[in-house]
Amino acid sequence: MVFSSVVFLFRFLPLFFILYYLIPGRMKNVILFLGSLLFYAWGEPVYVLLMLFSTVADYVHGRLLERFRGRGAARVILLSSVLINLSLLCFFKYGDFLVGTVNGMFGTNLAPLNLPLPIGISFYTFQTMSYTIDVYRGEAGVQRNLLDFGVYVAMFPQLIAGPIVKYRDVESRLHNRPVDLVSVSGGMKRFCTGLAKKVLLANQLGELWVLVSERNLGEISVLTAWIGIAAFGFQIYFDFSGYSDMAIGLGEMLGFRFPENFHYPYISRSVTEFWRRWHISLGSWFREYVYIPLGGNRKGICRQLLNIFAVWMLTGIWHGAGWNFLFWGLWFALALMLEKLFLGKVLSWLPGGVGVVYTLLVVFVGWVLFALEAPGRIWGYLMVMAGMGRNLVDGEALYLCGQYAVLFGIALLASTPLAAGVAGRLRRSRTGWAIALYRFGEKVIPAALLILAVAGIVDASYNPFLYFRF
Amino acid sequence: MNEKRSAFYTVLLLSAIILVFTFADLIRGDRVFSDMENKVLARKPDFSWESLMEGSYTGKYETYLTEQFVGRDKWIAVKTYMDIVLQKKEINGVYLGAGDYLIEQHLPEAYSSVQETKKLVMLDRLVREWDARVMMVPTADTILSDKMPFHAPYYDQEAFLERVRQQIGEEHYIDVYSVLSRHREEEIYYRTDHHWTTLGAYYGYLAWMGAVGETGEYYDAASMETVAEDFLGTLHSKVNFNTKADVIRYFPETARWPVTVTYDLRDTRDTCYEESYLETKNKYGFFLDDNHGFVDIQTECRNGKTLFVIKDSYANCFIPLLIPHYERIGVMDLRYFNGRLFRFMEEYRPEDGMDVLVMYNCIHFLEDFAYLE
Repeated sequence: MVFSSVVFLFRFLPLFFILYYLIPGRMKNVILFLGSLLFYAWGEPVYVLLMLFSTVADYVHGRLLERFRGRGAARVILLSSVLINLSLLCFFKYGDFLVGTVNGMFGTNLAPLNLPLPIGISFYTFQTMSYTIDVYRGEAGVQRNLLDFGVYVAMFPQLIAGPIVKYRDVESRLHNRPVDLVSVSGGMKRFCTGLAKKVLLANQLGELWVLVSERNLGEISVLTAWIGIAAFGFQIYFDFSGYSDMAIGLGEMLGFRFPENFHYPYISRSVTEFWRRWHISLGSWFREYVYIPLGGNRKGICRQLLNIFAVWMLTGIWHGAGWNFLFWGLWFALALMLEKLFLGKVLSWLPGGVGVVYTLLVVFVGWVLFALEAPGRIWGYLMVMAGMGRNLVDGEALYLCGQYAVLFGIALLASTPLAAGVAGRLRRSRTGWAIALYRFGEKVIPAALLILAVAGIVDASYNPFLYFRF
Repeated sequence: MNEKRSAFYTVLLLSAIILVFTFADLIRGDRVFSDMENKVLARKPDFSWESLMEGSYTGKYETYLTEQFVGRDKWIAVKTYMDIVLQKKEINGVYLGAGDYLIEQHLPEAYSSVQETKKLVMLDRLVREWDARVMMVPTADTILSDKMPFHAPYYDQEAFLERVRQQIGEEHYIDVYSVLSRHREEEIYYRTDHHWTTLGAYYGYLAWMGAVGETGEYYDAASMETVAEDFLGTLHSKVNFNTKADVIRYFPETARWPVTVTYDLRDTRDTCYEESYLETKNKYGFFLDDNHGFVDIQTECRNGKTLFVIKDSYANCFIPLLIPHYERIGVMDLRYFNGRLFRFMEEYRPEDGMDVLVMYNCIHFLEDFAYLE
């Protein structure tokens, strides 16, 4: 089930929350767990068993780690947990990619598995791995209650598209969590904002990207190519951060505090900064469980560069089993390494705007690698962007500019902290009218966004789920 | 305290929106057909474990919920207004043109040269076999290009028509493009519908007269009579926002001459016009009773001439104009006919032969023209 659908908003959501709020204390987790299974099984009626298997396996590993704490066996248990999780991920996500690669390299004829990817598997295996690793390190307590652990893994808000919530982030609230009116209201507002980002901005811009990406590369102008990739860049940002907002909002309504996942990435002044603002939960996962264990920046510059290379190769391939995702990761590795070596210093001397433009350039060229799969098309598209298009500007580009200028304008503003800044100033203000305006806006704006988003969903011309490959 | 009270009202407002529509949606009945969208809406899928497990059930159920959602027409209207506010000039495949014109979008890449070649070969075969004339009518985007949004892309039918002319030869080609082009400032296309108006058809008729060498002045455009002033056509349905309604006119002479019209070899009427359609949304159905596989028209014109027309819906308002020229007119819509065309035509042809006319708008031709010999 996805959030931006009639069945979620007008069936699942009301029914679930009525039950959740009516049922007292301890039983809430039963409702949350069963509701989450239903939510997942709606889209994945078979793979829900896989998720349950993963849950039970890591629960058992957690208990075993507790029993053998401090002994040599603990290492073996941790290894077993990580191996199980990575095997599941590799088998379902990278199986056919590996088969294809082997066939291509050795001329063999292995049959592909042709398995559909279980939705959300990359998110929940990363979550459960964080649990066993943290338990092993003594940074998180052991969960003895299988239901509570099941709630952590299966919880529907972040199950299928993140954020990747580490166990210790929610540990204290798993068993018992007070919910108050202020956090419910905050969660609802957050949800409406996220829904609007997804439906009103991402879907609309996505339509534009589909239009441009299906065009014959020999026929489009340079400006059209730039408009297209800009549309994709904004689409994926508003889609992904919109999903995170919805997840965080729903979490708040349940009584959780999920970590933030996006923090205005498109105003970053360097690629290093961009990755601290983009998909923060994934970045911090890799940092904590790969980069730092590999030695991070403590073993000299050469080792650090190697570590950056390794982490961003993994980050790339995490986004999908394809060479283009690998190269997308390496493209960022390159930028990050250059920034470590000298570019970061240079950028810090230059005015901030230069850094922003440079970062956007790197990121949006990266989106070409991300969005187009075939190497020939990627190269061709980049060439058009570089000026090898039929024309610099043509009628089509001007037409698309006219059609989407307002939407791009809104997207641009929504990518900056401007609105949040205004809201914050009004809220902290001491004058009566400012506070009244804030109180009015905080109700009417989410309500209006909700209504408009529902209109977009019912109209439903284009409403994709982008993370089926993650 | 103040913050708590504010939070309470926020929660109240947002939950009310969700709950009110959930409740309203639970008690609404299912619609079979949407007049506004002119489409059959999804029905509740039949449940089976098999379809659930393979994942098709939930997908169908979501489509069902979305298409039947309470107030669907209103939601779509909200979305359309939103698009208009965002300055979009194309909504749901319709351009919002100047002068309140809604113009159907035909993207160049949708009508590939492969499809075009295939259709032209088929047309050529028909033309050679039956010595047929071809009237290909360009749609509004090509003729009213000055009313299109700034640089809006459209399939260039002028170039296409040139290829049609070259393929079938000058003597078989009737040039409608030029005459419509000359009259582009007049009301030759509906503002809310994808068809041409009776006036447009009249100019097409003049082109036909000139090409086939017919004479006689039967009509005066100034004497057309209005039968409906509240026509909101198919393009209006696609965008669904308030716009000026179209007027449907016709030439009264065509209703005065006695005719016998037989639809699909069964139902017989004494007119080419069906007034009952004027009470429905589909008012263009007034002409030749909407769509039929085969229509046979007998006139009182005792000249012994027979015409066989292979056509789309553009011809429906055009054919009545031919009444004073033929004793008998057979009208074939290939979309509703699945027999062998040439065999059918041979059976229809009288001893002393018949004229054959192929009449389509360019787009319908490229999309629908197909037959079995």
